[in-house]
Amino acid sequence: MSDIATYSGRRSLRNRFGYEERSAIFFLAPVMAVLMSVAVFPILYSLYLSFFQIKLTRPNRTPFVWFQNYTDLFTNELFWTSVRRTVVFSIVSVVAIAMIALLVSLLLNQNFRGRRVLSTILLVPWAIPYVANALMWKWIYDSGYGALNGLLYQLGFIEDYVIWLGDQDKTLLLIANAFVWKEVPLATILLLVTLKSIPADLYQAARVDGASVWQRFVHITLPSMKPGFMLVMIYETMMAIRHFDLFFILTEGGPGHASHVLSWHIYVETFRNLSFGSGAAMSYVLALVTFALSYLFIRTLGRKV
Amino acid sequence: MSETRTDSAQTAAAGIDYRRRQRLSRLAQKLVIFLCSVVLAFYVLAPISWLVSSAFQTEAEIVSVPPHWIPENPTVKNFTAIFGATEDEEITYETRSGVDPAAGGFIPSTAKDLPKAMWNSILVATLVVILNLLVGVPAAYAIAKIRYWGRNGSVYFILTTRVIPDIALVVPFFLVIRKLGLLDTISSLVITYLAVTVPFTVFILMQYFEGLPDELDKAARVDGCSRFQALIRVFLPLSMPSIVAVVLFTFLTSWNEFLLALMFTQTSASQTLPILLAAFTSDFTVSFSFLNAAGVLAIVPPVIVAIIFERYIVSGLTAGAVKG
Amino acid sequence: MARIRFENVNKKYANGFHAVKDLNLDIQDEEFVVLLGPSGCGKSTTLNMIAGLEEVTDGALIFDDQMVNYMPPHRRDVAMVFQSYALYPHKTIFDNIAFGLQMRKQSKEEIERRVRNAARRLEIEHMLDRRPGQLSGGQRQRVALGRAMVRDPAVFLMDEPLSNLDAALRVSMRAEIKELHQEMQTTFVYVTHDQAEALTLADRIVVMSDGIVQQVGTPDEIYEHPANTFVASFLGSPPMNYIDGEIEIEGEDRALFRHDSVTLRLPENLSRKLNTDSGHRVRLGIRAEDVDEKGEVVEGQIIRGTVNSVLPVGSDQFLGMAFGDDELFFRVGKDLRHKTGENVTLAVDVSRLHFFDAATGKSLVA
Repeated sequence: MSDIATYSGRRSLRNRFGYEERSAIFFLAPVMAVLMSVAVFPILYSLYLSFFQIKLTRPNRTPFVWFQNYTDLFTNELFWTSVRRTVVFSIVSVVAIAMIALLVSLLLNQNFRGRRVLSTILLVPWAIPYVANALMWKWIYDSGYGALNGLLYQLGFIEDYVIWLGDQDKTLLLIANAFVWKEVPLATILLLVTLKSIPADLYQAARVDGASVWQRFVHITLPSMKPGFMLVMIYETMMAIRHFDLFFILTEGGPGHASHVLSWHIYVETFRNLSFGSGAAMSYVLALVTFALSYLFIRTLGRKV
Repeated sequence: MSETRTDSAQTAAAGIDYRRRQRLSRLAQKLVIFLCSVVLAFYVLAPISWLVSSAFQTEAEIVSVPPHWIPENPTVKNFTAIFGATEDEEITYETRSGVDPAAGGFIPSTAKDLPKAMWNSILVATLVVILNLLVGVPAAYAIAKIRYWGRNGSVYFILTTRVIPDIALVVPFFLVIRKLGLLDTISSLVITYLAVTVPFTVFILMQYFEGLPDELDKAARVDGCSRFQALIRVFLPLSMPSIVAVVLFTFLTSWNEFLLALMFTQTSASQTLPILLAAFTSDFTVSFSFLNAAGVLAIVPPVIVAIIFERYIVSGLTAGAVKG
Repeated sequence: MARIRFENVNKKYANGFHAVKDLNLDIQDEEFVVLLGPSGCGKSTTLNMIAGLEEVTDGALIFDDQMVNYMPPHRRDVAMVFQSYALYPHKTIFDNIAFGLQMRKQSKEEIERRVRNAARRLEIEHMLDRRPGQLSGGQRQRVALGRAMVRDPAVFLMDEPLSNLDAALRVSMRAEIKELHQEMQTTFVYVTHDQAEALTLADRIVVMSDGIVQQVGTPDEIYEHPANTFVASFLGSPPMNYIDGEIEIEGEDRALFRHDSVTLRLPENLSRKLNTDSGHRVRLGIRAEDVDEKGEVVEGQIIRGTVNSVLPVGSDQFLGMAFGDDELFFRVGKDLRHKTGENVTLAVDVSRLHFFDAATGKSLVA
């Protein structure tokens, strides 16, 4: 009886957080601690650093320079070059990935013998490390003994071996090719899911209405794949604009500045010029661009809440 | 009478014609699918096959023009240099090349570091996997099944951390890790890899837990489980497919990671496989066939894993990318 | 062995949805109470609050003499059966039933004994080694019952336990649940949207709508004396017919119901119980079965109309009768064949008429 007597409609302190809230806190504390220390803190620290001029060559002089690191970027020719290279690389890669993945997913959406084997094979590029991928393509593009030269020579397309990666016009495309080769599987899997989610009776209805294969593709398949496409485009753009590994191994930004992309520029600025302040500023710009993209990304994934 | 007969004959003929045309078009369809499959298989496998083939060629063979697509005198010299390095076979400056030193084609003296680098890779990946599960499983369960205040906020928070580019973390990480004296240690990699793996882990598990019926959770709790017991005794045994997917992704991500490892490792004490590979590629004197052998070693474990667990990977990827 | 009391209980969800409003309810020990209402009426939320699966936002939930607002489900002595059965797919049937006992640290022998007993009682003994996936829906629901039964809980909660079963099985399981209640002698709270289940099973029915209790009473009270038009419409099939009209009081125990095309004279005791003035707008309710096509035709006790539709339903037939702009539905025997377009005269059982305030829908019969 006493329990009821003392009940006054307000929660005791212990019960301010109910059992559910207390369990949630208990379960979420570890992940929050981890993400706070390895994601939130670094990104904020990076913002803070970007307001200083930090050269590891002069560790004792780190003046606070406000937005100078950012404003300097506008006048930095090489920075703009790297932005242009990144844009070209991203557009070429993402378009190629989307096109190839579309074709491959349409193929794998058919029922035929060997489909399972083929889709397993397709996972291989996705699984291998980027460094190994880079090494592989470097060897394929090799000017002296590479497979690309060998193949084209044997087929009679070229008279002499070509120094592929030495050609400023081709470098970016060749790197994009290596990138595409590795990213197509993931994009295909994402597109396949959207393809499989198109209800079969939609096709049957269209068939009854006398739509040809091509009409069905244009009027049902393509529109239904739009969300999948959006997802692939945004995700792959995010991957492309931050990509680093291939540039490091294949060309180191060369020849000249032909493959001097933003991530490479940040790396050079930070770890070769040891200029941490401006490195932080640039990586912050990259992070903001990614956040803008990710906003679209999250919106597309759209948790309906 | 006769008219009707011709009519039916015509229909029959048309039927045969129609059936033949259909058979033809089905045959054409099969042919197109077959050709596309071959092209796709070639596109995916040709580069890999070339890498593997080159790994088994001798130095003399690998520099032939045009290249030998299939090794004529296959050799495992490159692999014994890495694994079989007994005392007398140890690579020294003098013994490291089979051919004229002036022509390059060396097996680098750091070849014997490769097993150690593989071991580092495995160690880092394993630790990252364990930590991911420890923090990811309870968080995913809480988000999926507990209706607490701020639940949507925590989902958005985790989604947001998922898209932070790794390169934006490099500078602050480097300064902090240097300050903590953790440069060139395994732990620096384990800690920083959490940033690129944990959000994805939580996301995949969360999707899976949300797919399990709420009533199962209610039944368990009415049956006498605390929240923690409901997770351990009911949800964990049921979520093995997603756990497997998470283990695979986390393992592969750690195994393949390059940028962060490049920043924080300096010696064989902490260097992972990708770092050693990258070092080989930048050394112009290193034998191509050795380089390819090292590449093969980096490729084999993830490829085996991917093929064995294909089902889990595909379902995990789709769950991770698309809201189920 | 528990009495459950709700005192001014409210439940608001985080999204602002007010699921249960000012609930006051006293469930007696060993009583079988059915919470009845359409989906979204707050009945499942109420059940979940008893289980502890939903927190009480405001007010007090009291088991016997103890306020349990903040007590998590695993500390309450309740068992629950779900619509989807919610069996643990990875456990055998034995382990499914035993799980609650294991969590409560019963001895192995005791668990074995109780599981076997429950299994024998429910005739599922031969499937104890199987897994839920290998069982039919009916068998799974038996296992779910067994899982709740072995616990011998203070409160037995059921959330639409029969809704996923086919019609025949539903009827036989209904009888079985009734039996179970008598054997177990414990408090049962049962949620359903099916009036037939409610009427057969309940000691008392709680009719809910929009989070508000509409009426609490025995099945007879609820059916015979619905407190408002919502309750009146929700029970009975086809649902109660309504005619809007006026009351005319002619004396202490003489009252008339007037409508353009029908006038009904109320019997004395009903007239006496009617709480209204002359000229008041009322809504008359006639249950579908409260007419007789072969009854005596007495002015003031009949209703005339044209047959609109005839729906045979096995034992009876439903007559749809055009009445003004509306259609009234009556249940009549099937020995007389009616045709659409035909004019019929039905004798109305005037002692069983229902009167509601036309504006508020509240019953006007005391």
